[in-house]
Amino acid sequence: MEKEIVIKAEGVVKKFGDRTVLNGINLDIYRGETFVIMGGSGCGKSTFLRHLIGALKPDSGRVSLLGKDLSKLQEDELDAVKKKIGMSFQSSALFDSMTVGDNVALPLKEHAKLDKSVVDIVVKMKLELVGLRGFEDLMPSQLSGGMRKRVGLARAIVMDPEIVFYDEPTAGLDPIVSGVIDKLILDLSKKLSITSVVVTHDMKSVFSIADRIAMLYEGRVLEVGTPDEIRKSKNQMVQQFVSGSPDGPIKFFQQKDDYLEQLMK
Amino acid sequence: MAVKTESNNGLAICRVDGEINISTSPDLKKTFDKLIAQKTPKIVIDLSKVTYVDSSGLATLVGILKNMRSYGGKMRLAGMSTKIKSLFEITKLDKLFEIMATEEEAIAGL
Repeated sequence: MEKEIVIKAEGVVKKFGDRTVLNGINLDIYRGETFVIMGGSGCGKSTFLRHLIGALKPDSGRVSLLGKDLSKLQEDELDAVKKKIGMSFQSSALFDSMTVGDNVALPLKEHAKLDKSVVDIVVKMKLELVGLRGFEDLMPSQLSGGMRKRVGLARAIVMDPEIVFYDEPTAGLDPIVSGVIDKLILDLSKKLSITSVVVTHDMKSVFSIADRIAMLYEGRVLEVGTPDEIRKSKNQMVQQFVSGSPDGPIKFFQQKDDYLEQLMK
Repeated sequence: MAVKTESNNGLAICRVDGEINISTSPDLKKTFDKLIAQKTPKIVIDLSKVTYVDSSGLATLVGILKNMRSYGGKMRLAGMSTKIKSLFEITKLDKLFEIMATEEEAIAGL
């Protein structure tokens, strides 16, 4: 059976001032897969993610989500597409003045006219899926970092999205909690047949959850492949990133001449 | 989504057709609120023509069951597709509801 493309990026270019952050990205992401976008800090992966969810528009090129070219959609059409996606933020982005239950219920209250009794049941069902049933009445400040992430995840899936985007889901978490979050992403993807797009530079996480991986470097896709293909890649930049070596073709510091030139400008 | 209800001797058979989603589940709730207000003793919900149920739909069905139990009413679900049944299994609701293969089976012995 032919794979269905749910996200398509074609020649996506984005500049901030005279700095080119995305330099012609082409990618296809298929329904049901867990697709990881990896790369070092500043490689453009978070900017690219913001293009995929329609929060930024490319200077040139286009992004299609569920068959719709995002740049051609009117605001109400874009809202309709956005209802089919969920977003799990790096910071969890919970409202500290609201209970866990109210945080999870927020998208439902914004987008639907459901009775409170129905919303309460949906919230319980979603919290059960992330292992936090019974925590509805707690405040976010009473939770650990990992639990906050899980609440953010419950909120991301509360509208039954077709695609969930995860921005650095394991950042700032200890290895055990990171493993719990990875397992949860996998479980939810398989159980609910969700397409998952994960932006991360946590290599352990990359290889434990990905069906396919894209490595970004300086705003371009260096390589796309299965975890096995990426591990065996002959691309030296990919190898350097996977092994976490400070020495290699990826430069972490600008050349000395540039620095001195800049001082004298 | 459409619901056709047939009531006879304290048994209401509700045949649902279409999608039970975030837009249609409030209408489904209204239909059952009326039956519950009348304290209908037995309800069979035939889902054989239901093509999709989202979380709001599942929650609406849980709410109906909860309200029926409050006055001792009985409810069964019937005819759901394999795809919809798997949703009940994922959310563990298959352990909460009495789920029968056909409407006839659901009516028998209720």
